[in-house]
Amino acid sequence: MVTVADTTLDGRCPTGNMASRWEQRQRDLKLVAPHNKRKSTIIVVGTGLAGGSAAASLAELGYNVLSFCIQDTPRRAHSIAAQGGINAAKNYTNDGDSVWRLFYDTVKGGEWRARESNVYRLAQLSTSIIDQCVAQGVPFAREYGGSLANRSFGGAQVSRTFYCAGQTGQQLLLGAYQAMMRQVNAGRIKLFARREMLDIVVIDGVARGIVTRDLVTGKFETFAGDAVVLCTGGYGNAYYLSTNAKTCNVTAAWRAHKRGAYFANPCYTQIHPTCIPVSGSHQSKLTLMSESLRNDGRVWVSKSKDDSRSPDQIPEDERDYYLERRYPSYGNLAPRDVSSRAAKERCDEGFGVGQSKMSVYLDFSAAIKRDGEDVIRAKYGNLFHMYERITAENPYKVPMRIYPAVHYTMGGLWVDYNLQSNLPGLYVLGEANFSDHGANRLGASALMQGLADGYFVIPYTVGDHIATRKLSPVSTSAPEFGQALSASKSRLEAILNVNGRHSAEHFHRALGKIMWDHVGMARNEKGLLKAIDMIRQLRDEFWKDVKVLGSGESFNQNLEHAGRVADFLEFSELLAYDALCRDESCGGHFREEHQTSEGECARNDDQFCYAAAWEYQGVGQESILHKEPLTFEECPLGTRSYK
Amino acid sequence: METGSARPKAGLIDCVGLRWFFRLLSSSIGQKFVMGITGLLLCGFLAAHLAGNLLLFAGAELFNDYAHKLHEQWELLIVAETGLAVLFLAHIYLAFATAAGNGRAREDDYAMKQPKVPGRVIGANTWMFASGAVVLGFVLLHLVDLRLGMEGIDLRGLKLKDMKPFDATVKVLSNPISRVVYTIGAIILGIHLSHGFSSAFQSLGLNHPKYTPMIKLLGKIFAFVIAVGFASLALFVPEIWRK
Amino acid sequence: MNHTSTKALNLTLKIWRQAGPDQPGALKSYTLTDISPDMSFLEMLDVLNEQLIAKGEEPVAFDHDCREGICGTCGVMINGQAHGPDSATTTCQLHMRRFSDGDTILIEPWRARAFPIVRDLVVDRSAFDRIIQSGGYVSVNTGGAPDANAIPVPGHAQQDAMAAAACIGCGACVASCKNASAMLFVSAKVTHLADLPQGQAERSKRVLNMVATMDSEKFGNCTNTGECEAACPAGIKLSNIAQMNREYMKAVLFSCE
Repeated sequence: MVTVADTTLDGRCPTGNMASRWEQRQRDLKLVAPHNKRKSTIIVVGTGLAGGSAAASLAELGYNVLSFCIQDTPRRAHSIAAQGGINAAKNYTNDGDSVWRLFYDTVKGGEWRARESNVYRLAQLSTSIIDQCVAQGVPFAREYGGSLANRSFGGAQVSRTFYCAGQTGQQLLLGAYQAMMRQVNAGRIKLFARREMLDIVVIDGVARGIVTRDLVTGKFETFAGDAVVLCTGGYGNAYYLSTNAKTCNVTAAWRAHKRGAYFANPCYTQIHPTCIPVSGSHQSKLTLMSESLRNDGRVWVSKSKDDSRSPDQIPEDERDYYLERRYPSYGNLAPRDVSSRAAKERCDEGFGVGQSKMSVYLDFSAAIKRDGEDVIRAKYGNLFHMYERITAENPYKVPMRIYPAVHYTMGGLWVDYNLQSNLPGLYVLGEANFSDHGANRLGASALMQGLADGYFVIPYTVGDHIATRKLSPVSTSAPEFGQALSASKSRLEAILNVNGRHSAEHFHRALGKIMWDHVGMARNEKGLLKAIDMIRQLRDEFWKDVKVLGSGESFNQNLEHAGRVADFLEFSELLAYDALCRDESCGGHFREEHQTSEGECARNDDQFCYAAAWEYQGVGQESILHKEPLTFEECPLGTRSYK
Repeated sequence: METGSARPKAGLIDCVGLRWFFRLLSSSIGQKFVMGITGLLLCGFLAAHLAGNLLLFAGAELFNDYAHKLHEQWELLIVAETGLAVLFLAHIYLAFATAAGNGRAREDDYAMKQPKVPGRVIGANTWMFASGAVVLGFVLLHLVDLRLGMEGIDLRGLKLKDMKPFDATVKVLSNPISRVVYTIGAIILGIHLSHGFSSAFQSLGLNHPKYTPMIKLLGKIFAFVIAVGFASLALFVPEIWRK
Repeated sequence: MNHTSTKALNLTLKIWRQAGPDQPGALKSYTLTDISPDMSFLEMLDVLNEQLIAKGEEPVAFDHDCREGICGTCGVMINGQAHGPDSATTTCQLHMRRFSDGDTILIEPWRARAFPIVRDLVVDRSAFDRIIQSGGYVSVNTGGAPDANAIPVPGHAQQDAMAAAACIGCGACVASCKNASAMLFVSAKVTHLADLPQGQAERSKRVLNMVATMDSEKFGNCTNTGECEAACPAGIKLSNIAQMNREYMKAVLFSCE
């Protein structure tokens, strides 16, 4: 049923010894001389870990950087919300870690659906990230003697996670932000805050600029450059309720896709197991409780169905510590997708707890008994505080209630080993690309990837593009800029002109429900077909019945939101379609038709060991599938078991 | 390249190497620093002044003796008085300068504003400028009464010239206007100090988890002693020694 | 928490409405019924906005993003208190159970000369960026950093630095200060970097430049009322301001800067 392209996609990885591939690529990449760097302009969209670190590092090299963010300041990008930590193969703990083991854990964690060469490079670069961040003044947790502290995270049997209390993402982001602001001060970065990217401009097949809207004045603007670097995050908000910030959206990536960039593996979505459950229909977003809590918290439900006793009334032998029961060697630290499905399975079977029966307990009483409340407070105090603020329950006394929620998206724009999309000159970094996590991301690996891409990969690879492709000078007066600008303008005008009955929020919630019900933690063919139908209907309704007040020439948050919802309504169909076409289970993509007798993922390597990169054909038109075959040399295809 | 804020062009103050000094005096932190230092030094003056004046309770002989000895060292007295005048003027000038800047920084007022510090209703810290102004009035009257009065510049018609210090003081304190102003002045001064004393330490950067609670307590005790001490002079001295 | 509602609330809201930076603004009253006590404050505003859109009135503009208390985007004055009545809580983490049925809630934007109003409850806090830009970093380029464990950082220094670095840049300190002073914000960054060995090389230059920028952005001075500390959702302590005072005087008097 699916249209497959004749040729396969090539990730353009170096060949030969895995450990020296990145070194070899660095040798092959052409350099740009300092005086030519000063003449080159690079557009970086987004200021999270990937965008902030890329903008800073490129500016340090001497490029002119134009940096754009949707927030009022670059320091607020959603990387800031990552709590638990960042992985690095430092082996400071002497517990057997190595670059190879981090590489292996990541490939295995991603169910052999990531590109091996990229993952190996990621593991190699992980150690430099920690060095770089410490040099910037990131206050990583320390032992009393002054050396760095580590903790464990899901999917690993070693302690390789570096952390800053429960605010690791915040501290790493502020490090990148500060490095960036230093370059703003030096005049090497021009900062454009409260700007939303609405299109990229392609001239002669090469990405040469972007169209943005100033969110304060409503003015449309165009910017030209020698390369465009998208660091615009993931698309989790397609589900409406997710742990993503409210402004997280797919617009930049989707517009790039509509201009020819392939979108890879959109069906790989991560549902995080430890989130605060939904409390009512007013819920506007979900809050994550760091996975690090599973170091000390034990997950359980009652052994009897519809047990309405309060948790302290349920004696020890009537409790089902289902993660410890099903996965004895990893226990409560089983990877995210596995833990999430296990929670869903218990709740679907009627063992859920809380008023809605759609949650499970995360219990710290054993840890508090063992270490004392003070030790637990020192480790997780801010998380417990946050939990209490939201639920009005004291987790030191009563077990937390948690339920899975959409958290991270492994899919994204397709990129090669150099992080360049199939559109020359368009680079995609961080969560916005698809490359390193396969079908499931391990905890504390997103921060690692964003920073590896921004600090250590793009500074090398973007130069090669500028040096080898003889780019003719371009200005925003080129006709392509004018066309892209008027297309963006008329799209927003069209939204304003519908003047229907329902708010953008209404459509977003409706889309979220479709996605969660049919394209959520467990998917099947019937549901996916239904979802595609429903999305199409909803999209038609949106364009007939959306109501946005105010004008386009002012600060208009509802208009911004409506534009993003319109893109989610197009994108979500591709997500569901990709899920439908990937007729196997792997990582975050679980097809009910394909499971083992124990309810685990049943992969189909013979048919699906590839990255699915989709080529846009028009709204509602079936996309063309480009397959990038995945081969595994260092880390042969195996079974992913955490038993 | 990365020096940030542009430095002003070299001028006279650069030639004499005082750029740093003017930078200090024009910066917010420098101003608070000077405010704190002058405040604390004035606290020292208050303590000494109160100690001397408490001799009023001991009787005419001891007090006159004390005053006499003080005035014998007139060279030192000139230095001390000049120093005090500089401290006062700097303190007052900075009060005006920072208050003006602070007022401008808010621009539009809130329709409603409530404190969030637990237990804080309207503290001394809200009224530092106002309490300072009252204290200034009190000090000026005090100078008119005794400093000028004793010199024979009799603005208030108290006829203190040629009187012994003890008698002159008792006469001033017996004057109903002075008595009320001195009592209220002393209490307002106490309120001013109850924030000012510990606040000065904070402005000087002397904040430490071990010592700050003690400094805060000390500030309250000091404020109480100064207020009660000076007020008691106005309240009781005339009662005890009225002839 | 000293008060907890469990039943649905009926509320009167008085909200500052202002169409643009140069437009006049005024408080406008709205009534809301049947508000769940489990809603966050921002979800309550979402409900209001949905009702306004349905009625054909322009919704209230307010800044918000992560809605989990870390990004620092949200922040309004609620009944005259920055981020509302709870301590160590951002507006997005404040829940309606904290209010009572029949309450009138007054909502205003942060007010400071340095934070001009963009629209309704949204203000422009880019002055904070300019302060960081003037020195709130360690000047180290990417690449070539020594091994992370090469310079030990004593546990207490790291903890002090982390406590200061936790600032979310929301601006509640400025909003709550009677002088609209930014000292708590600036001192948090000065302290964070002064406490770590990595921050030593630029220690003097940093504090001089950041304070100069802070002053030129027209923030007020500190009068040690402690309101900033009480309003801070990230628990930044007043002692940071004392440390900044110290750092500044040391830099002015003893450094060559």
